[in-house]
Order: sequence, then C-alpha cells, then structure tokens
Amino acid sequence: MTGPAINVEDLHFSYGDLEAVKGVSFDVRPGEILGFLGPNGAGKSTTIKMLTGQLTPNSGVARVLGIDVSTDDPALQARIGVCFEEKNLYLNMSARENLEFHASLFGIKDANAEEALRRVGLASRAADRVKTFSKGMRQRMMISRAFINKPDVLFLDEPTGGLDPVTSAAIRKTIKEEAERGAAVLLTTHDMFEADELSDRVAFINEGEIVALDTAESLKLTYGTRAVKVRLRDGASVREETLPLGGGGASARLAELAASPDLLTIHTEEATLEQVFIRLTGRGLEG
Amino acid sequence: MSRPVSRFAIIGALLKKELKAYTRDTVYLALTLLVLVAVPVVFRLLPDSVEETITLAVSPPVAEMVDEAKDALRELGAADERLSALDDSDLAEEHEGMVLVEFDDPERMKDVISGTLEAWRTEDGAVVYRGEGGDRPEGAERVTVQVGIEFPRRFISDVASGERDVTVTVYSDAGVPEEIKGAMRSFVREAAYQLAGEQLPVDLPAEEMIILGEDRAGEQVTLQQKMRPLLLFMILMMETFSMASLVSTEVLQRTVTAVLVTPAKVGDFLAAKTIFGTVMSLSQALIVLALIGGVTSQNWSVMLATLLIGSVMFTGVAMFVGSAGKDFMGQLFYAMLFTIPLLIPTISVMFPGSAAPWVRLIPTYPVIDVLVRSTIHGAGWADVWPSLLYATAWLTMLYGAGVVALKRKVESL
Repeated sequence: MTGPAINVEDLHFSYGDLEAVKGVSFDVRPGEILGFLGPNGAGKSTTIKMLTGQLTPNSGVARVLGIDVSTDDPALQARIGVCFEEKNLYLNMSARENLEFHASLFGIKDANAEEALRRVGLASRAADRVKTFSKGMRQRMMISRAFINKPDVLFLDEPTGGLDPVTSAAIRKTIKEEAERGAAVLLTTHDMFEADELSDRVAFINEGEIVALDTAESLKLTYGTRAVKVRLRDGASVREETLPLGGGGASARLAELAASPDLLTIHTEEATLEQVFIRLTGRGLEG
Repeated sequence: MSRPVSRFAIIGALLKKELKAYTRDTVYLALTLLVLVAVPVVFRLLPDSVEETITLAVSPPVAEMVDEAKDALRELGAADERLSALDDSDLAEEHEGMVLVEFDDPERMKDVISGTLEAWRTEDGAVVYRGEGGDRPEGAERVTVQVGIEFPRRFISDVASGERDVTVTVYSDAGVPEEIKGAMRSFVREAAYQLAGEQLPVDLPAEEMIILGEDRAGEQVTLQQKMRPLLLFMILMMETFSMASLVSTEVLQRTVTAVLVTPAKVGDFLAAKTIFGTVMSLSQALIVLALIGGVTSQNWSVMLATLLIGSVMFTGVAMFVGSAGKDFMGQLFYAMLFTIPLLIPTISVMFPGSAAPWVRLIPTYPVIDVLVRSTIHGAGWADVWPSLLYATAWLTMLYGAGVVALKRKVESL
C-alpha cells in the first residue's frame, strides 16, 4: 500500500445537539504510530468508533486502507484490529477460547492462540477462564485479541490505562512490534509519557478539534520553552537559577555562572507534551 | 491475513460461542437440567385418572328404615303390594358413579365427614372406625365421605303415608361444590317422591342423556392431561429468562461491540441469537414432550409447529427483555413485566371455560389454546389453523419488537 492507511478529512459527528467531533483531518501511514492525545470527552473514542464502523460520520470522509468507512464493507473489518478501553472479553471462556472465537469471525481456522498469548506473557494461562485474570492480564488479552488477525491497521483506545509500569512496558513493546511489522497504529491516550515514547507523531485533540499535529519533538520545540537550570551553593543552602535559551543575555549569564566556584549542576530543561497541551488549550490532559 | 468469511461461517462461530457461554454458566445449566428432570417427574406425580364416583353416606341404614316402614305401614293396613314395593326401592342401590356407605349412628357420620373420625371398609364390607391415635385396621380400605344424608328413622313410613312435615339433613364437607350439594337435595326429593308412590312431574326422553360434542364418559380429562400443555408452555417461558440473561450479559459487558468490529454484522448477531434461543427452547420442549407423552401420529406436526412458534415468540421476548434491562435487577423487572401477562392464558388450562374475552387478545393465548386442543382433544390442522395463523401474527409482532429493540441497543453502545 503506497497511500496512507488511514485518511480522514473534515470528519464531523454529533450526539444529538452535542458536536463531539468538529472537522477532524489527519493521515496515518503504514508502520506509523499516531498518538491521539486529549482529555476525556475530547472526541478521541468517537473518532475511533467512526473509523471502525461503529458510528457513521455526519459528514466528512474517512478511509481506512482505501475503503470508505461509511460503506460498512466487511473487507475493511477483516483488516483492522481494535483494542477497546473497556475490557469486553468473554469472562466464562478461557483465554485460548476467546482468541479462537475472535479469529473464527475473521475466517481464521488455524489461529495460533498459544503464540498470540505468549507474546503478551499469558501462554501459561491459556486454558484458564478470563474471569480469573487480573486487570493487567485482561488488558494483555485485549491487546492479544486485537492482533489475532494480523491487522494492517490497529486502533488502540487507552491500551495501558490504569496498568502498572511493568505491564504497560510489555504492552508498549508489542505495539512497537506491530508497527515494525507494517501496521498503522492509531493510539488514543491521555498518558503523555506513553504518547511521547510510542508515537511517531502526536495529534492534540480538544473539544472535538485537532489543535496540533506533529512529532512530539517538534511540538515541544515549537510550543515549549527551552531553558537551562543552574544549581549553586548559597552558604548552607542551594540556590537555583533558570535561564531561557535564546533570550537576550542568557549566554553571558550562563558563562558567568559556569565559572562560579559555587556551581553545583547545570541541566537543560525541555517542555513536556502536557505543558505544550496546556499552552495550546488552556486545560490539562486529565480533565 | 484473514480470508473472506461467509455469513454462515460467522453465524456458526457465534452459535458455538453461545453454546459455550450457556453451558459455562452454572445457573443456566442447572436451570435447564432441573427443568428436564423436574417436569417429567412432576408430570408423573400428577393423578392420571379422574375420580368419577362420589361416596354418599346415609344414616340410619336403608334396610333399617325399610323394616321400620314395613312394620308401620302394616299396622296402618297397607296392602302387601305396597309393602313389597318398598323392597324394590332403589334407595339403597349403588348407582353408577355413586358409592353408598351406611352409618348406624348419625353423629359418627358427621365426624367422618368433618374428618375427626376415619371410616374404613373391611374386606367383608363392614365399616369400622379409627379415631385419633388408633391402629390402622388390617385389610381395610379408607372410605372418604364428603356428603352424608341423615334421614329420620321413620322417613320411609312418614313419606309413604303422606306426611308432609319431614326433615332430612344433608351434611357436606366444606370442599364439596355447590352443584353436588344441590344434586344431593334433588336425590332426597326424588327418593321421597318414589317412596310416596308418586311420579316425578318431569318427562325424560327414552334416551337418558344426549351428549353434545365428544362423549368422554369414562375417559375424563385427567390432571396429567390438563397439565401437559401447561408444562410445555412453562418450558418455553423458562428459556426466556436464560436467553434474556445471555443477551443482557452480552450487552452490559459490551462483548457484542468486539464482535461488531470484525466482519460480523448486527444481522449475524441477531440471527445467531434467534437460532440459539429457538433451538434451546424448542429442543427442551421436545425432549420433555417425548418424556411426558402427548404426541400422536395425528397431532405431531401441529405440536411441532406450535412449539416452534412459541419458541421464536419467546426468543423475541427474551431479546426485548435482554436489551431493556440496564443491570440484573432491571432485566429481572422487565422479564417479570412481560412474562407474567403472557402466563395469564394458561389459567384457561386449569379452569376450562374461564378465559375472559380479553385473555384471547394476549399473544400467548393461541399457542396455549392449540397445545390444549391438540394434546387433550386430538385437534388436527383443520381445527387449529386459524389459531396458528393468529399466533403467527403475534409472533411476527413480538419477534419484530425484540429484534428492533436489540438492534437499536447494540448500535447505541
């Protein structure tokens, strides 16, 4: 596939009078991870629902793998994988049965459930019913299920939400592996660290609109404040001084402090994605 | 990379999943097994015959009254023909459907009727009594008396001599229907007419009774037969709860959302639910039907069609209930709300002729009506097709409502 795996142009959707998505446009290339960053209610999940055929857009165009999502073409669903924020697994079925059932809906008769479970560290629990799994294990099952049909496009809605750091790291690793395989990944999160670590590009969405879309580095450089923080001994205590880079006189002051016998440390200060988001929208990501 | 998958394969996969979900839930499984075992057992425990006789007690014994009457009338100079006519009186004869028990003491008769004293008939025909804590008489059969008539000792002679002021007391158990009490009063009057040597002022046709419709004399409908259609109907209804619960779980846990982002469509989901719900309730009904009987070479196709209509109808109800409830309690509330009115027509099985006109408007009425007529009266297609047509119309409405409700619910998740 030469074009974008996901192509969205001026997409709109309303729940009654509430306009949840207001003219969103973006592309995701094969092998690319696009982080969709925004607070709760920003329109992330609604956008994913439209792209996976769960909701029909009010207007605009959305194509996944070149197929218009509003056509309800089963060929589209056959090539996508979805990981929901809600852990909607069949609790009375085993891990293996959950995966085999899901695979059978794609017409896959020889699903290698054991291998899929091994990838997420659940091979030893293949025969156990999912209702006996912890929250983290269920989330790994969700990821495993989303990958079972080796999809060309992955929609991952808060894939590490509320998980411990070890489980989160394991899940991020498998997401990266899928992208390296060539899958386009649309990842919604309000975890800026995750977005920063995983995403090739990041889209900030707020109140149904994309307010910025670029690489994380570029966003931080464009919207963040670069500075150097210097720590100095001040008698019995420690004094800090922050020098904005590129500001008038900062270089001379930095040279002066660097030569001081009281100098303890010098650190570069970089803006976080959250700071960029706040600067762009006037609100935090947890809202 | 997945291959194109057919609708049949998808529905097949969904059905396999439904079966797993059903069998993995201990409540559904226990309920199903309980129904399959309990219903035939309950059916077998029900009386398979109808008590066609009524035991009538009299006091004093008829022979004593006749002897007293003979003596009294002889003293009055009655002719021998008149006296011998008393011997021909059928007062003491046991008519078809009536057993006569004679008591010397009217107080004992009253105690037996009220249940404070037991009466037992020995092999030689004598009646013995057993009070509280007494030993059970060996080789004797318990006599249950519901109605007793206490005649004055001079009843026959008084009536035969034209005495008008004669009082006869009829005692009855509290459970005796008013019709039987009335019949006993008539019996006493008839006996009095006969003893007085008068004819009843009524002409009866030569043929004693003309039966309109099917003559079921000697083969009355037993409680087992009455309960058979009711039990079948209950099985169909019980499945509504299980099916509604399966639907509700799928909706509340949003597992259906995961299904619908695959090549499976809402139509596949609904088709699988319909097939599974129908097959589960129909198969259980057929298994129980095989165990409790009631199928003949004449009615099997009517029974199959009726149970199929009932199964699909209740599957539609289950879809509606399952999609309406927001949680377990909500689902239970809707299940009760819909199934209790649907149960009302079954009362007409227990109490024939009790169906008020409005009951006929309840969707399940034609189903239960056909089940009753088919299993009890052997009705065939020619008799029941209008009811089945009516049931099909209701089926279309109920199933349609269920499908629309569930489709809307699933699409709104």
